[in-house]
Order: sequence, then C-alpha cells, then structure tokens
Amino acid sequence: MTTTTAVANDIVGTKRGRWPVGLLLVAAPVFLVGWMIIWPIISAIGRTVWLPNEGGERSFSLETYAFFFSDQYSLNNLWLTLWTTGVCALILILICLPISLYLRFAKGRLAAYVQGLAIFPMFVPSIILSYAIIRVLGPNGTVDLLLNSVGLPKIRSPYLTPWGPVIGLVWDNIPLTVLILLSGLGAVSNQSIEAARDVGAGRWALLWHIILPRISNSVLVAVSFTVLGIFSSFTLPYVLGPAAPEMMGPFMQRTFRDVNDPTMAITQAVIAFGFCIVFGLFYVRSVAKNRAA
Amino acid sequence: MSVLEIRNVTKSFSTTTAVDSFNLTVGDGELVCLLGPSGSGKSTLLRMIGGFETPTSGLISIDGEDVTRVPPEKRPTGMVFQSHALWTHMNVFKNLAFGLKLRRLPEAEIRRKVEAVLELVGLGGYGHRATNQLSGGQQQRVALARSLVLEPKILLLDEPFASLDQHLRERLREEVRDIQQRLKITTLFVTHGQDEALALADRIVVMRDGRTEQAARPDVVYREPATPFVAGFIGTMNLVEGAVANGTFKHSGFTVPVPAGDGPATLAVRPEALEIASADGAGMARIHRVTDYGTHAIVDIELPDGTRLKSMTGEARDWSHGQPIDLKPRAFAAYRDNAAIHRSN
Repeated sequence: MTTTTAVANDIVGTKRGRWPVGLLLVAAPVFLVGWMIIWPIISAIGRTVWLPNEGGERSFSLETYAFFFSDQYSLNNLWLTLWTTGVCALILILICLPISLYLRFAKGRLAAYVQGLAIFPMFVPSIILSYAIIRVLGPNGTVDLLLNSVGLPKIRSPYLTPWGPVIGLVWDNIPLTVLILLSGLGAVSNQSIEAARDVGAGRWALLWHIILPRISNSVLVAVSFTVLGIFSSFTLPYVLGPAAPEMMGPFMQRTFRDVNDPTMAITQAVIAFGFCIVFGLFYVRSVAKNRAA
Repeated sequence: MSVLEIRNVTKSFSTTTAVDSFNLTVGDGELVCLLGPSGSGKSTLLRMIGGFETPTSGLISIDGEDVTRVPPEKRPTGMVFQSHALWTHMNVFKNLAFGLKLRRLPEAEIRRKVEAVLELVGLGGYGHRATNQLSGGQQQRVALARSLVLEPKILLLDEPFASLDQHLRERLREEVRDIQQRLKITTLFVTHGQDEALALADRIVVMRDGRTEQAARPDVVYREPATPFVAGFIGTMNLVEGAVANGTFKHSGFTVPVPAGDGPATLAVRPEALEIASADGAGMARIHRVTDYGTHAIVDIELPDGTRLKSMTGEARDWSHGQPIDLKPRAFAAYRDNAAIHRSN
C-alpha cells in the first residue's frame, strides 16, 4: 500500500513539476504572436474606426470603410485582387493535382526529376522570377524574338496586364501546393486504391470517388495557403501587374507612400485581412476536422 | 463452372523470382489455401490472379478465358485485403454499393443486394454505420461483403484475419467457410497460419521460394508431408538427421526400422506419434522437461548427443526430469533428397 501511494505521488509530483515547463515553452511564441500580430491587428482596427475630428478629438467613425466601399477605384482594386486570387487558386489546383498524382503513383528516376522541378520555384526569389518573366514574355522578350525569327507575329504580352501577376504567382506557388497535395495523397493507401480497382473502378471513378474525397482536406489546406499568400502578395503584382486597377498589396503601398494617407492604407489592410481570415478559418476548420478524424 | 487455371506462371522483380513456373488448377466451388512462410510468393501469386501484378511469363485463365493481362477492374475476381482497405469516407452501405453503382444497376436492386449480403455476413442493419465505428472483425466482414456483393467467380482472400486476435480469427474463419460453402464460390485463401489452412481448406498448396512443395488435402499434407520442408512447416514435427544402414535408421542411440537403401536420411515423426516408455536401463533418451497443458502434456526428450525431440502424452505425472526412456514412433516418414523414401502409418 505504501509503495503504491509513493508511486502514485511520484507520478502526480512529476506531472505537477512538468506543467510550468510546458507553459513556459509556449509562453514565448504566444507572447510574440500577441505582440507582433494580435496587437497590430487590434491597433490597426482601432486606428481606422477611432478617427480624429477637426478639433483633434478622436471619436468612433466608419468613414474610411464607407469611402473604400463607395470608391470605384478601390472596389476595382479589391475585385482585381479577388479575381487574381481565385484564378491563381484554380490554375494551381489544375496544374498541381496531376503533378501530385503522378508523383504519388509513379516510381523511378523520372518521378524524382519531376519532383525536383516542381519544388524548384521555391528557391527562386520573387524579384528574380519577375524579371525572368519580363525577359521571356515581356515586349521584345525571348518568345517574341523566337516568333519573329520564324516570321510569326508577336504575342500579346501578359506583362502589365492582370495575367502577368497570375503567371508569376502560379509559378511561385506550385511547390507549396504540390507538397501539400502530395502529403494528402500519401495518406491514401495503395490497398484502398486496389480495392476500388477490384470492384471495377476505372481511372476517373478512382479519382472522383476514392482519391478526391480522401484528399479534400489537403485541397482545402492548399487552397487556403495559396489564397492567403496570393491575396497579400506584393512583389509580383507590383512588378508584373497593371498600374490600374492594381492588387491590394501595391495599392496599400501607394496609398501609404505616394498618396501619404496612412489611415486609408491601414483601412485597406484591415479589409484585406478580413478576406484573408475567412480563408484562414477554412484552414483551421480543416485542421480541426483532421484531428477529430 | 468457375475454374481457375494457372499455367507455368513466373513473376520476377529485377533479380528476384517471387513465383517460379507455378501450376495450379482450382476446381469449381473449391477452397484452396496457399500456405507458406513469408517470401514464399503466395501473396504475389494471389495479386497476379487478382490482376494487380502482371506475370513475367505464363498464363492465368478463369473458365477457360485468358485473363493474364486483363486489368483488375475487368476481372471476375473479388479480393479481400489484409488491412480491410475500406473507404473511410463512405459508410458501410456505400462501401458495398460502390461496385454495383459502377455497374449501373438500378437503385432498388443495389439496395436489395447490399442488404442481402450484409445479412449474410451478420451485419444486417449496419449499413448506415461509418466504417471507423466498427470493430476489426466487423470491418473485415464488410470487406468480405464488399467482394461478395459483386458475385465474383473467384474470391481471393489475402491473409484477411492477420490483424485480428486469435479468438476472432477462429470465429471468422468458420463464418467464411460457412459462407463459402453456402455460395459455393471458388476461393483462394492466402495464409501463413497452418491452423487456418488446415481448418479451412479443401486443398492446401504449400509454397516455398515461389514453387509448390505439396498440393493435397489438409489431412494428407498433415499426415503424409511430401518433403521435409512441408513436414517441418505443417504442425509440430520432430525432424532427426541420421543415416539408414541395413534397414535401420540411426541417430545417437535412436533407432527406427526403415526398409530403404543405405544412406543419409531425415526422419520425421510427430509428437503425438512418438510413444515413450520407461526404460529399465540407460534407455534411448532422457526426459528433459514436462509441460502440462491440462488436456495433454508435452514431454521434451533429449538424445545422448543433445538432440531434442517432443512427445505428446496424456498424463504429465507419469514422467519426470532425467528419467531414462525408450522411444517408439507409431507413425513416421523418412526422407532423402527432398523426397519420402519410406512411410509408416
């Protein structure tokens, strides 16, 4: 009896001794998140709804938001950002899903090379990528020169059109999307695929009824991640995109620096954050669903 | 008639030959167990029959139709996998209905067939359940039902009970046998469990290194193993290396009459066929240990050179450690060059 009690006390004591260590371990990241993310968000929202009047006194006002949602130029910029994000997410899934399926089921050296190629964009900085695209697809770029050499007319360059950032952002986000989808496909066992083939499923039935439902969470996570990245992107839309309308990233920078209106720039940031958090919630829901399963 | 024929089938993976010139004919409604140790090629053979592997050479036919290169989705076979391989995003009903839907059967017929098969495997009313809400045994029954609902000509079972506990395994194998006999479906069952094979099969094919060591009824495989490997693999067997001289097998004082030509030989005698008797003098051997299992006792015997044998007796109390004994095999076989040279039953 004494021994049992001593062992029990020992276990309890050990547990008691552990919990402050656990809390201390999470304290630092929690503090950093609070300091560098949560507080700036609260501060930004506060600064956009608690505005100074002519006398310098601050009062609650939704004036900046009202301006944003009534200003056609701002709405065009928001629409362009949403359009670019949606198109990029769709193209990314259409490109990365076949690549991931190939990498999941193919064996051998070629698959290793394809994987290397798919991950390669991760190691190319956005600014380098931007100028590479300008040199290749821009006016008088490599493609134009090649077409000209065989007597064909020039292409209509995507540079400085909405398609410029789309091409750059898709290329830039391929590695992350492929890795997320590949990790989801890794959870689909060979035997469950063989069982489906055994009951008569051809390739499309296999993809539609077995593989896609099993990786739906991974698709959601991939879409959430890419949407979050693309919505708040700056370099590629700034270098490759049109001057007007422009995506939210360059729009915020221009409002802050060129127009010298920090409050409006912060308002744009809060609105962008509002859209991003919707996708963030998708991601959190997906993770929670996975854990519950 | 659903007859499976395998003719000279070989499967090689780079430098390894998993199945080597294998021949087998499985009759209509027959249940054949492919039995062998890990790496003997039994699962590879089953996967070739199911269409998941393509033979390097040879021919597989079902009802006379060559299916060697037919993909699994077009074969009249149904496979039950070791890991159940249920689709967790579908409930039990949808798991079973999937194959029928692919065949574009009317909804009412799908429902009728699924419910009938669920009843057959003892899972009536479980259609709405999520697969992860089922126990291991129930999941395996769903996997079996998923194959049966499509009424395959050949049912293939790849160690389906390997992940289940002993009690459940015994119960399920009886159920599988009942269902198989009721439906009279030609079945191939892969296992490395000899008990499972002996309890289930109409015929056992013992495999080793991709080849057939013996293909016969379970009682024949057990009582008349064709090779020392089969003798050692099926059940518990005392295998004694020795030599035959002048019609007698000898090994370290252990002598047995074997009417065969002189030369090296392996004597195989089962514990239940090895009688022991108290010796007046030194005896052929001594008792090393006695283990009482209640219903019977296993006596470990030590020959003068240290070779150990086992004998099964009814009463443990008659024997004690160190006691000198004589040995008298009631039934045995002697082998030379991987073939029997004498049997005594």
